[in-house]
Amino acid sequence: MILRYESYTKVLISMFLTTIFGAVIYSYFFIQNYPIPITNRISLDAKIGFIKNRVDRDRVDTIIVGSSIGLNNVAGEVLEKSSKIIDGVLNLSVYEATSPQIEQVLELTPLFPNLKRVIYSAQFSDFAYAGRLKDFDSRFIIDYISGNLSIKDMTSFYFRSCQNIFFCIKRQWSWGREHQNSNQFTYLGFDKTGSVPLGIYGDDIIKSRWENPHSDRESDYAFRALDEIAKKLKEKRIKLIFVMQPYREPLVKKFKHLKPTMERFESRVKSILDRSGGEFLNLHKRLHLKDIYFADRSHLNSKGAVISSGEIAKFIDREVKR
Amino acid sequence: MLFNSYEFIFIFLPITFFIYFYLNSKRLITLSKAFLILSSLFFYSWWNISYLPLILISLVFNFFVGEYIYNKKYLLSIGVIFNLGLLGYFKYMDFFIENINLALDKNISLLHLALPLAISFYTFQQIAYLVDSYRGETKEYSFLDYTLFVTFFPQLIAGPIVHHADMMPQFNSSKNMVKSYKNISLGLFIFSIGLFKKVAIADSFAIWATQGFDVATSLNMVEGWITSLSYTFQLYFDFSGYTDMAIGIALLFNINLPKNFNSPYKATSIQDFWRRWHITLSDFLKRYLYIPLGGNREGEVRTYLNLFITFLLGGVWHGAGWTFIFWGAMHGGALAIHRFWQNMGFKMNSILAWIITFNFINISWVFFRAKEWGDAIKVLDGMFFGAIILPTALSSKLNSLPIEFGKWSGIFHSSPEIIIYLFGGFIAILALKNSMELKRLFRPTPLYMIWTLLSLMSIFILYRKSEFIYFNF
Repeated sequence: MILRYESYTKVLISMFLTTIFGAVIYSYFFIQNYPIPITNRISLDAKIGFIKNRVDRDRVDTIIVGSSIGLNNVAGEVLEKSSKIIDGVLNLSVYEATSPQIEQVLELTPLFPNLKRVIYSAQFSDFAYAGRLKDFDSRFIIDYISGNLSIKDMTSFYFRSCQNIFFCIKRQWSWGREHQNSNQFTYLGFDKTGSVPLGIYGDDIIKSRWENPHSDRESDYAFRALDEIAKKLKEKRIKLIFVMQPYREPLVKKFKHLKPTMERFESRVKSILDRSGGEFLNLHKRLHLKDIYFADRSHLNSKGAVISSGEIAKFIDREVKR
Repeated sequence: MLFNSYEFIFIFLPITFFIYFYLNSKRLITLSKAFLILSSLFFYSWWNISYLPLILISLVFNFFVGEYIYNKKYLLSIGVIFNLGLLGYFKYMDFFIENINLALDKNISLLHLALPLAISFYTFQQIAYLVDSYRGETKEYSFLDYTLFVTFFPQLIAGPIVHHADMMPQFNSSKNMVKSYKNISLGLFIFSIGLFKKVAIADSFAIWATQGFDVATSLNMVEGWITSLSYTFQLYFDFSGYTDMAIGIALLFNINLPKNFNSPYKATSIQDFWRRWHITLSDFLKRYLYIPLGGNREGEVRTYLNLFITFLLGGVWHGAGWTFIFWGAMHGGALAIHRFWQNMGFKMNSILAWIITFNFINISWVFFRAKEWGDAIKVLDGMFFGAIILPTALSSKLNSLPIEFGKWSGIFHSSPEIIIYLFGGFIAILALKNSMELKRLFRPTPLYMIWTLLSLMSIFILYRKSEFIYFNF
């Protein structure tokens, strides 16, 4: 069917403008319902939205940071209930976060005027790599969360965030499938403190993650970033508590490299904390958790997270208080 | 202002289009041309208004010299020296000082001059104008028409390099003063293809090329080839995408810009390649450099030398750096060898000829892209001497071979997406019709409408907005 050029052009331009209008409407819907792309990490984007919309920032006196080991292994609600001295907890952990990335995330601490302590929940495997977050602008994020952006800046931000509409559609599509199921390691269903307890039990356990240990790789840059974190927090008079989380005991027994790796890790972290400030808690040694509390080799399930959090609360009440 | 930016697509272009044709419809032809010139200068100044005086001085000087230049060799010399002097000062001065410092162990301070946008393009166009005026091959153009010829925004920044004889009649044709739906629909189609090439294809390859050239410290064999091929595809889709957009936009104003690409990676010889790649530059070099040097009229040896000199200077035109000069020398040398081959009457199987030509071009682009010699050597070292690492999945089938298995392209996170893109890139350059062939086939049917619309959807991924590679030349 050959159209007249004039009709063709007018129909084409009408369809184009309609598509643009539809994209604007969709963008509005997306902004209201899904994590707005701010950084290159969905779990951080979701956390930024969570802090903006659901957290009483004045109440927060304790922040948990870490990778999934911080997000999954520490249940903020349990910590709040179990401790006598902790008032408000915020879990600021980000999936796959390295220590330099945590150093970046901790640039957001000015948002919490009553912050007293930071709990860094980690395992030795978190210190194998040392990448940084791309395009992380803490000043902008603080202004965004605090509602200090002008209408012009806010409009420009929404516009930039939704420019890649295909990315937004992809994010919406993956949100329900990948980030709303508690039996997946990509779960992002925050409790009221921003923690993500995993519901991975029995058949949900992935055999390769359960049976294979991490390598003994470690990055000097990662330890240097921890040193920086400790120094910066000390300057701000914020207490740092470094928690080494449990690892599946059968694996530690079976694979010879694990025990020395964990001991070396403990020793390096302790020496940094002794030098630059901070307390160390080894939950692996203290709890000797059975396999029923694990979701894989190093991630705890929701029951394991309760035990881990209870022990952290006890430690803070007993030892950090002094 | 970039063609692939919201401010251009949604504000600048529609406003310019409507006002230009409104003025034409009121028969305010001079005013409409003046408006188009002002719009073009605004478009040019968007990046940096400090570039504006230079282009204005250049075009005023060249126009008035062109008025009196006929048969006056000294004026031609003054004009060419002025243009080359301007280009040399802004583009090559720091390179020159660096080499003086190196050769004579001096410490002369660099000027750190910002390269005025499009200077290489408008300098060439105006030299061509002066040479033709000297030969008496130009007609009497008004200053307004001349200014429009130089500054017309679709071609101003990165070509195609237009010739006054092609453009001036179009600016003055009364038929072209009237809005043409045929040209609008065709222009939108070609523009949308260019936008898709740039945003969806070239900018994807750019990520991998940058990773390999600028970020990685060493490359294995697979990474080396991915890096070089990524740049080979990036450059083609970027530059031909830009040209398509320029051609499409010009068509909206009823102006036909010359063809600049004709499936260059289908070439089966280096001579064939230069007949298909950046055609307007090749024409310019041939007409205003190769032929005046003597072309093929002064014996075989001199012809080889002329070819070599022409492309060596072509390399210099592309950038102030030894890697560009080496790239030009490679192409000049290859053209001379190819001519010798032809003269000897040798023949080659066309598939083998394509393989040799494509690989030569791919390797030569490594020098074109590398910021430093070391970067070029790093990529070439990876391509030819890097470790061979294959995906772990193949280890059970190929474990008898002395090959390493693991992260076969660690710097690219062993992403299968790269392989899909490279495969798609080869299909696009070898099997699909190019945009100028599609331009001939275009009909106002629903199929082309949907095609245009889908390609225009590239505006939804403009977040990766980047400048066009040829803006640097």
